[in-house]
Amino acid sequence: MIGLRDVSVSFDGRRVVDGVSLDVRDGEWLNIVGPNGAGKTTLLRVLAGLTAFDGAFTIDGRDARSMKRKELARRVALVPQIPQIPPGMSVAHYVLLGRTPHLRPLAGESRADLDAARSALERLDLLAFAERPVTTLSGGERQRVLVARLLAQDAPVALVDEPTTALDVGHQQQVLDLVDELRHDHGLTVIATMHDLTLAAQYGDRVALLDAGRLAATGAAGDVLTEDSLSALYGARVRVLRDGDSLVVVPRR
Amino acid sequence: MKLKTLALAALVTLLPLAACGDDDDSPTVAGSDGDATTTTTAADPDGEVPQAIVSLSPSSTEILFAIGAGDQVIAVDDQSDYPPEAPTTDLSAYEPNVEAIASYEPDLVVSSSSDPALLDGLEALGIEVLVHEAAVEITDVYDQITELGDVTGHADEAQQLAEEMSGAVAEFTTADRDLTAYWELDPTYYSVTSNTFIGKLLGLVGITSIADEAQAEANDYPQLSAEFIVQADPDLIILADTECCQQDAATVAARDGWAGMKAVTNGNVVELSDDIASRWGPRIIELLEILDAATTKAAAA
Amino acid sequence: MLDPPAIRAAGLRPVWVAGGLVAVVVAGVAGLSLGAVNISAPRVFLEVLDHLPGLSIDSGLSAREADIVWQLRVPRVVLGFLVGGLLAVSGSSFQGVFRNPLADPYLLGAAAGAGLGATLAITGGIDWELGPFDTVPLAAFAGTLLAVLLAYAVSTVGGRDTSPAVLLLAGVAVMTFMTAVQTFVLQREADTIREVYTFILGRLVTAGWSEVRLVLPYAAVSIAALVLLRRRLDVLAVGDDEALSLGMDVTRTRIAVVAFAALATAAAVSVSGLIGFVGLVVPHVVRLLAGSSFRVIVPLSVLFGAAFLVLADLVARLALSPAEIPIGVVTAFFGAPFFVLVLRARRRLV
Repeated sequence: MIGLRDVSVSFDGRRVVDGVSLDVRDGEWLNIVGPNGAGKTTLLRVLAGLTAFDGAFTIDGRDARSMKRKELARRVALVPQIPQIPPGMSVAHYVLLGRTPHLRPLAGESRADLDAARSALERLDLLAFAERPVTTLSGGERQRVLVARLLAQDAPVALVDEPTTALDVGHQQQVLDLVDELRHDHGLTVIATMHDLTLAAQYGDRVALLDAGRLAATGAAGDVLTEDSLSALYGARVRVLRDGDSLVVVPRR
Repeated sequence: MKLKTLALAALVTLLPLAACGDDDDSPTVAGSDGDATTTTTAADPDGEVPQAIVSLSPSSTEILFAIGAGDQVIAVDDQSDYPPEAPTTDLSAYEPNVEAIASYEPDLVVSSSSDPALLDGLEALGIEVLVHEAAVEITDVYDQITELGDVTGHADEAQQLAEEMSGAVAEFTTADRDLTAYWELDPTYYSVTSNTFIGKLLGLVGITSIADEAQAEANDYPQLSAEFIVQADPDLIILADTECCQQDAATVAARDGWAGMKAVTNGNVVELSDDIASRWGPRIIELLEILDAATTKAAAA
Repeated sequence: MLDPPAIRAAGLRPVWVAGGLVAVVVAGVAGLSLGAVNISAPRVFLEVLDHLPGLSIDSGLSAREADIVWQLRVPRVVLGFLVGGLLAVSGSSFQGVFRNPLADPYLLGAAAGAGLGATLAITGGIDWELGPFDTVPLAAFAGTLLAVLLAYAVSTVGGRDTSPAVLLLAGVAVMTFMTAVQTFVLQREADTIREVYTFILGRLVTAGWSEVRLVLPYAAVSIAALVLLRRRLDVLAVGDDEALSLGMDVTRTRIAVVAFAALATAAAVSVSGLIGFVGLVVPHVVRLLAGSSFRVIVPLSVLFGAAFLVLADLVARLALSPAEIPIGVVTAFFGAPFFVLVLRARRRLV
């Protein structure tokens, strides 16, 4: 259970995140949406412990700021939007990095760590690529590698920053389906930032709408993503259509 | 600094030079030819000898005073410490400052380097320069002495000094001794070969430098390997780095592997004063005497 | 089904450790057998064996030859191993901690600090212990550490959490300042230029057991520490943010690695001056041959760096024997083409 109370982040005197209060239940999938510059990524960085902030951030009642790095990393894992891939590093080694918070200070990987990495590779169907450098993989394959590392990290909370960037529609669905499966298999809590409103509506349980750093609304996609709120917030002309259970947000000329 | 020199030069050339008569007969800059040391500057056609000499070479300073021209010398560089009455100043021979030199209003500058920056600068100011580079042959020393004698009006004393010295040198020529020596320039084992001035002085007292073996490959001042020096086990170890680098017989004996060398065990480590070991003036006789005594002792052992 | 071997590919394969050890042995044998003085190789080894505790063997060498072997050649080879290993491990660690393939052991003003320390000791001519030979190593050592400390202090002026780029820039500032001071001092004491120049070019000419004793403790500590820290360099490779999110204390790791790498550099520089190229090129050659993980590069750099320097020193003392070539010249001579080869190969790889 993640709790944010009145969280604010300022850069150079500007409030990028402004008094956000939010709870995320265990096993829930929350999508954070909003226009460019609304503070989505910054909010995610707060959750990952990468940015200084005012306010309270608790994990299962404990103050996250009081936790050591490793402790936090065992509870919260980050899948960055644009990962830095060391040239020459193999897929297996990259995924193994996910075990870092579980290692003792100067020690190497234990049998358990190696097994965890291997099963992550297996689950993501990457064993055939194990020895190849990550940089030789396609965009879609690389995304799977990131998810495999996430899995190896074995943290109950996954923070995913713009998971569908630079992916074609097929791969977008693949990644999101994968995350959903993992969520159900492992009881993951997922907090993702999404710029694609339709996908945000189709995947996940709740949507949180950010407007210039402030939390404008949270709730089910159908309640939050209305034509009025979206046109006001994005300054765009949109139509919100229903397609069975899910919503589709389309731009209008 | 260069800019100021140019400005000064420009200023000087703008002033009417009518008052100064000496432009053609005495060239303001004496060029030097190759390794040879001396250059010729005829004495001022008016017959006046320079009365305000600045010497930027410790060896030349010693010569000037030895031929009796000492009272014509108004300033010498910071390394010229002999004889004690020489007027040592802050002037640097290594990094000569033309302005500073000019501020003494010299009528002659004696230098051991042909640094163009120095020579051009002095030429621009119309100051006469005599370049006496480091001696290569022993006769170069006599030539420098006689030339300084001519220039300063002490030709007779100079001639006498040169003859005395060559006479003394002749007495050292010993054909019956042949000892080896390691001449140490610095503690990282730089040495000299027989081709050098030092090498020739060594030859006069019957000493061959062990660095000669390195001659073909390297230059005349090779850096030797410690192994080689120990293996060569020279009769003498001559230290020219006692002052700059605090070396002496004790530090040599303390070096790993050196304690067993015969020069060390027989007490034939010669500690020279850095100055005597590196200058080419009247005191080469003193150097030869020290070396001769050392070789006599080593040969007797 | 693919299993453990696929995962363990991240680590160091024994074949490469063996290769490194072979390189060291070959270099050692060559370094001991050859020298300015011709001594029969088997007798050299008998002489070495004679010095091992409990053994007493007559090598048949004269007292003088025995002295040359044990007092001059053996310590010189040992020192070559130590210095080569130190420079390579320091260079590889700096490359990892700054994510910069052009990093070398002399970053952050280390070289300038050593040079300044040595210059002050040589020109000052202070008689601290047994003559300037002991003051120069101490001064160079102190200068190296001081420079790196200063670079670190300067980098935190704008705030405590400094990025690698800021640290590198601070290092440039320190280097520039110290080099300026050194040049100034040198101009005023120009007759010591040869000695300082010899230091800057690097040399093992005056190697003896006292230098080995001086360096050994620092070598042991810094090499052990850097080898222990090698895995963290792989984590740092994904960037500070991701490394933090993976639970690593980036700042503390960076400080630790920089501190031990600076110690390694200081120890090497104090006895051998500024020998270039080893710390820069050896890690890259290792990377090209054995893999790009720092788990591989750091330990193998120690072995291959050691072997490389001893072989380079062999060339330095044999090529113009009995004259010596400054070893910095030899390492550059072989290092530069090596480097070009590595660059060409890398372009094909990545």
